[in-house]
Amino acid sequence: MKFMENTKINFMAFKNAGFTISGIMGIGSIVLLLLGINLGIDFKGGTMIGLNFSENVDIEEVRTAMSAVESDGQIIDLSGEEIKHFGSTDDVMIKVKIRDNVSPDFAQHIVNHVYKTMGDKAPADKNDFILSLDSVSPKVGTELSGKALWSILSSLALILLYISIRFEFKFALGAILALVHDITITLGIFSLTGYEVTLSTVAAFLTIVGYSLNDTIVILDRIRENMKSSGTVLLESTINKSINQSLSRTLITSMTTLLVITVLLMYGGATIRPFAFTLLVGVIIGTYSSIYVASTFLTTLYKSK
Amino acid sequence: MNNTLRTRLLSILFIFGLGIYALFPSIRYLLLSEDAKNNLSKDEIAYYESKSIKQGLDLKGGIYIVLEVDLPQLISSLAKNKDKNFDRFLDELSKEYTNNSADFFTVFEEKAEEQNLKLPRYFISYGKTKEQIIEQLDLQSTDSINRIIEIIQNRVDQFGVSEPTIQKQGNNRVVVELAGIQDSERARELLQSTALLELMIVKDVESTNTIVRQIDNLTSAANDTEEDNVDQLFNSDASANNDLGFSSLLIAVSGSDLAVSSNNLPALKNILSQESVQQVLDATGSLFLTGNSPETLINDFGEEEEVYLLYHLVDNAELTGGVIEDAQMRLSQSGVSAGQATVQVEMNNEGSREWSRITGVNINKRIAIVLDRKVHMAPVIRSQIFGGGTVIEGMDSIQEAEDIAIVLRAGALPVPVTIVDQRVVGPSLGADSVNAGTSSIMIGLLLIVLFIIFYYRASGLIASFSLMWTLILLLGVLALLEATLTLPGIAALILTVGMSVDANVIIFERIKEELRNGKSVRSAIDSGYERAITTIVDANLTTGIAAAVLYQYGSGPIKGFATVLFWGIIVSMFTAIIVTRFVFDFITSRKNIEKLSI
Repeated sequence: MKFMENTKINFMAFKNAGFTISGIMGIGSIVLLLLGINLGIDFKGGTMIGLNFSENVDIEEVRTAMSAVESDGQIIDLSGEEIKHFGSTDDVMIKVKIRDNVSPDFAQHIVNHVYKTMGDKAPADKNDFILSLDSVSPKVGTELSGKALWSILSSLALILLYISIRFEFKFALGAILALVHDITITLGIFSLTGYEVTLSTVAAFLTIVGYSLNDTIVILDRIRENMKSSGTVLLESTINKSINQSLSRTLITSMTTLLVITVLLMYGGATIRPFAFTLLVGVIIGTYSSIYVASTFLTTLYKSK
Repeated sequence: MNNTLRTRLLSILFIFGLGIYALFPSIRYLLLSEDAKNNLSKDEIAYYESKSIKQGLDLKGGIYIVLEVDLPQLISSLAKNKDKNFDRFLDELSKEYTNNSADFFTVFEEKAEEQNLKLPRYFISYGKTKEQIIEQLDLQSTDSINRIIEIIQNRVDQFGVSEPTIQKQGNNRVVVELAGIQDSERARELLQSTALLELMIVKDVESTNTIVRQIDNLTSAANDTEEDNVDQLFNSDASANNDLGFSSLLIAVSGSDLAVSSNNLPALKNILSQESVQQVLDATGSLFLTGNSPETLINDFGEEEEVYLLYHLVDNAELTGGVIEDAQMRLSQSGVSAGQATVQVEMNNEGSREWSRITGVNINKRIAIVLDRKVHMAPVIRSQIFGGGTVIEGMDSIQEAEDIAIVLRAGALPVPVTIVDQRVVGPSLGADSVNAGTSSIMIGLLLIVLFIIFYYRASGLIASFSLMWTLILLLGVLALLEATLTLPGIAALILTVGMSVDANVIIFERIKEELRNGKSVRSAIDSGYERAITTIVDANLTTGIAAAVLYQYGSGPIKGFATVLFWGIIVSMFTAIIVTRFVFDFITSRKNIEKLSI
């Protein structure tokens, strides 16, 4: 079977359009990120509780129940916190910001209070009532974000080194730029959805890093190979040829990956959805960037020499 | 079949065999019915659990708790000759400690220097210079965290959790993972409770009355200094409670006991923590503690009111939990408390001697049994007690009595701990994500296989074959490593499958290209592989580097992701490059194929 074989598309003709699109999306994403990304409690600290009612519940009802939570003799009004449905209308997610001077068992007190006030709509066994309960102190939150950031930055540095050795420093710069491009734009689109960044979304972003790298290297590898026959000069025609030669591979791989992700997005359930969505966006952006960003950046680098 | 092909086949079969062997217990365990699982002996379960792929807490449900040792508290308990300067130092130290993740002893040194604190004055038994003292205190803290881990291990073992994980994190934290546990409230109590048992003499009524009057004077004196005193008289706002005198918060209950309404508890604690009140209490060597659980009382208006009993005790434990040899839950046999859960405590020889001395000299006085600074009961000593046995009453349930017996047996923590990170995944959420996750991955895989067979025909079959083995081998490696599969791990699994398919696609597209250039099937395969391999190795190694770094520096979920990805890359390179190549070579070695189905 044949698909996109022997194509002779002049990708470099749309180089400027590519630059413009990437530029606009990149800047837009940075603006969105500066405006505020919804960081989860993993990085900020706080409490998140998933509750499983035995019948449909109204958010307002939960909000009313939360207006006077008893914790170690203190009565605390939590009705202003984030409360929403999760997955289905039976399940509710409550997110409570960090508070000073509360009992260490604050999260449990909230569960107990809601269970007491809305017991008629909750399962008989309190353990079935709790879907999930996460409570992170701000100190641990800062540490987790520091660690996540540090691990991503140090792996970028090592990748840069590896590609510089195997290819050339300029290739490494191109690959890293493509990577940063993919992550920034995916983060930007992610922040638009209002999903929050948790440790498992970090895993999704790491997956994109892996995917984007893989994709970019395959094309860079072709360029390197074709450069051998055309001498050390990097011509736009060489890039065009390389992209066209690997085009069928790029599209087939993206297609198969998107196939799995789409299924995951549709049937994966509420916990996996933000994760699958991130992957979907990341793979699409990654496919585009491996064609345009890394290689066009290379031509600019070689021209400026 | 020539020799090189045979060696290749044998090594491939060997690795396949190894993968199946590693995965065998997991498959058998998975295929066992619920009934059969219940019939397994403890050893068999342990065997299966150690050999199978474990599901992480996010998949199986369970509890993840990070406990942090209260190091400032430890320092405070080690210090001698404590004074105002030291208290201030400790205050700032604990503030810094709770908000900052810097190394504790670095902060300790900085703060001591900043406040010009003379360390030898407080820690002379640990050394004469600052360096010596800090080194010794550091040793002490390492020692106490090791003891804490031991004690927590002990408690968890007695609680009966299969495969608990208890690990030290950094130099001040303990990570506890209890898979499959549902009652988070109970587990948390069990881990967090310091389990400090103290036996304290209750002060008599007269001295209690005196001290209540003294505190009253202090609190109303404080009120007089407030300028808007008159306003407050007319202001019956609930918050004004804080400024009322001490005795107005107290309720006299049966006999001479004092109690406080649970609504007034914060106000009472507020008063008791005032410095002037503390001084009065210190001067008489006494303290106030509340009961462990609230009691219901009919108040003056005939309404039910929740109150906590308040005890005035001698601030010096006659005996502590260190002397306990055994503790068991027992149902009370006689008296008004018949049928109620109690904890029966047996003391060692030294404890028994002390206990009989204490009970001997304090006949007709009351002795409070205090656990973690909460009074469980305060019976009157009727006669001297020999033999070192005592019974603690005042448990809410059999379960609570059992848990208290466990923590008393396992011993008290040398330093209090606090929970800084906790994650509870209910079993239903875990099961949901497993089901949804696995079924969607299965569907996705099926679609991929159908697609590549449709697109690459016979070669697609070979690719699907290698994909299947990628999964089997990867799961086998995970079982061998006794790794835990989490949600991020599944993400890495998807990425691995993607990269494995990609490797095949790269190879096939190369072969097609070579065929288009007019090469024969045989040489197209050879040069196709040769050229594709550099691409695949480069792409995979780059990702592999990222995975290795993430494993090194990442925490929990990121680590899980990195493990699966790292091994996934190695396995998928093996199947895509070596296994499929062998199949192609094998087929073309038998007969001369003119046209490749690709």
